[in-house]
Amino acid sequence: MSEQPRNDEIEILSFPIAVMMVSTTKDVFLKRRYALAEAKRAYNLLKQESKDKIIQIANTFNWKIKPAKLEITDFALHFTDFLRNTAGFHETKWKLVNRTMLNGEILLTKDETARLLAEEVRGHIEKKLETKIGLELPQGIANRVELLQQLFWSRKGKMRLEEMPKEIVLDAFPPCIRQLYNTILSGRHISHVGRFALTSFLINSGMTVDNVVDLFRSLSDFNERMTRYQAEHIAGGRGSRTKYIPPKCDTLRTHGVCPGMDEICRRIRHPLAYYRRKLRIMQTATETPTAQRT
Amino acid sequence: MNKIETKAFIQEKFAEYYRLNSASIDPPSSLANREFAFLLFKERMMLRHKGVKNVEDLRTLLKTVVPSDVYYSSAHYEKPEEEMEAKEWLGADLVFDIDADHISTPCGKQHDTWTCNNCGATGRGTPPEKCPTCKGQKFDDKSWPCEICLESAKRETMKLIDVLTRDFSLSPQEMTVAFSGHRGYHVHVEGEVVQTLDQIARKEIVDYMVGIGLEPRFHGLEESRGPNLEEAGWRGRIAKGTYEFLLNTTAEQLEEMGLKKSVVNSLINQRDKILESWKSRGPWRMKGVGSESWKKIVQKAIENQSVKIDTVVTTDIHRLIRLTNTLHGKTGLKKIYVSASDIERFDPLKSALAFKEGTVKLAVFESPEFRLKDERYGPYENMEVELPTAAALFLLCKGAAHVKEEHRRV
Repeated sequence: MSEQPRNDEIEILSFPIAVMMVSTTKDVFLKRRYALAEAKRAYNLLKQESKDKIIQIANTFNWKIKPAKLEITDFALHFTDFLRNTAGFHETKWKLVNRTMLNGEILLTKDETARLLAEEVRGHIEKKLETKIGLELPQGIANRVELLQQLFWSRKGKMRLEEMPKEIVLDAFPPCIRQLYNTILSGRHISHVGRFALTSFLINSGMTVDNVVDLFRSLSDFNERMTRYQAEHIAGGRGSRTKYIPPKCDTLRTHGVCPGMDEICRRIRHPLAYYRRKLRIMQTATETPTAQRT
Repeated sequence: MNKIETKAFIQEKFAEYYRLNSASIDPPSSLANREFAFLLFKERMMLRHKGVKNVEDLRTLLKTVVPSDVYYSSAHYEKPEEEMEAKEWLGADLVFDIDADHISTPCGKQHDTWTCNNCGATGRGTPPEKCPTCKGQKFDDKSWPCEICLESAKRETMKLIDVLTRDFSLSPQEMTVAFSGHRGYHVHVEGEVVQTLDQIARKEIVDYMVGIGLEPRFHGLEESRGPNLEEAGWRGRIAKGTYEFLLNTTAEQLEEMGLKKSVVNSLINQRDKILESWKSRGPWRMKGVGSESWKKIVQKAIENQSVKIDTVVTTDIHRLIRLTNTLHGKTGLKKIYVSASDIERFDPLKSALAFKEGTVKLAVFESPEFRLKDERYGPYENMEVELPTAAALFLLCKGAAHVKEEHRRV
């Protein structure tokens, strides 16, 4: 990096020690925050680097990258490297469909390339933090780790965990789920993705497996055993024991489940986030929200 | 023959096919890492989680099991015979499925029929929202692979191949194209480049193909400016789509889109000028057409250029795919490879025939007109006919006929 560190020894050694300390906390959230902070720092340094140096650094991550011939863009990056590092981005400019692609390559500015490299750095550090530390830490460092954890928990405590109401509030359903729900009620067929989205949404918002199964009863191809099996699977009661959540908005859009956005949709990226937000709005609007039991 | 005997007859014919043609069954790559699945004639049950060590095992299995449909996983697993959670996913081919079901075809699907579950009323085309007789909302439907449907599917497949080659830089060696044996085409991309793409990455590829989430402002559409025909990726496609749309559209269609009368007149009356404009900067600066109008036109261009793939198949990294050179249980036709460069001249109703000898006497309940090879059959309604085996099996697999008698030699 071209920024002149005050003391090379401290700069170089502080990184492995920081990694060691964070990974000892075994806290997923803390690890993620740390990796993100390092990535942000990397981004700020990278965007000031020369094109040659950026290519050199990208090569250490085995990127297929080369300088672009066009005047407004600086680099051409293979689409697989692009996709791997944009998975967590939400801005529409990072969608593959909004990029110019030719011969399997995406055209990028230097700033965009630095952003993607920073994302690679984040992934790289997160992986590093997963490695188990075999030896016991010296007392001095162990104390500091403990201090770090305490500080972190006192901050994190402020972040309120949101709770779901005990009853299903139909009026707070996002447009997609409301449409799926009405379709099922009228006995009409919905796609597999639609079924999964509806079932997982209802289960996550507190509906019991029995009630979900009843809802599907009016379908012409209703099969109690199969429906129950699927609902239980989604609820985490079978096989892998993972509880499934509905697909995010972006995915529902891909599969044609999204009927179009309303005002709240524009502020969220997940149907469950819509539900929480709408519930909050309804609660502030009136002290007694219309709750309907299903 | 009654219904059960019809099923036995179909199975016997399938057995004959696998007995005589098992040598034509090519194994997919990384055979030992794939899961195989067989839909059984008996009880329509799916036999899953089968592993196959070598191609001989696979051929023997097909000869002894005689399934109605044969599938293998697009995924590669460390242990393909285990339950899903224990299979250890290693990667998956990138698969595209194009099916007439997902395309609005010019035939309007008039060959498809629906029956109301409530009152038994029947009709043609895609089932209505509500039954016109009893207002019921549940239907059984039967779909047919008509030539127009198949042609539409082929057009979409050609668009897909074009995007894969030009935008994604995949060579013909990296992809295989096949007719599915029913109403569509499959395109497989194999190789290291795509193998380990996760679901999010595959979803992005789907969005790229279909044009979901596309914002024209990222592709050069600005005030009085727009993309050119020779530009790369979606830029060029938007230009091409706009070019084609403005060349073929009518005043009525433009008005339906909500364009102002004056805009419609400009676009229709200046067609020659628009055509000419593509030689330089395109029609984006033309007088009387504002940026709001261009946005609507560009939406049509995107629709025209988007590839109508089944979005679920491509994003599913555990998908089961029909094995090439096996029979389709709904038609008795083969799934067969098509050369990507020669697809335009490919005729599925000629090349996918599996049975070439003998005739069968049938009692047909109802069938629209259809073609196999150069011969046209039907329409039939409650009549007895003697048909070549391939045509007979097609109707039997569709559940549109019963067997009367078989003649092994012509």
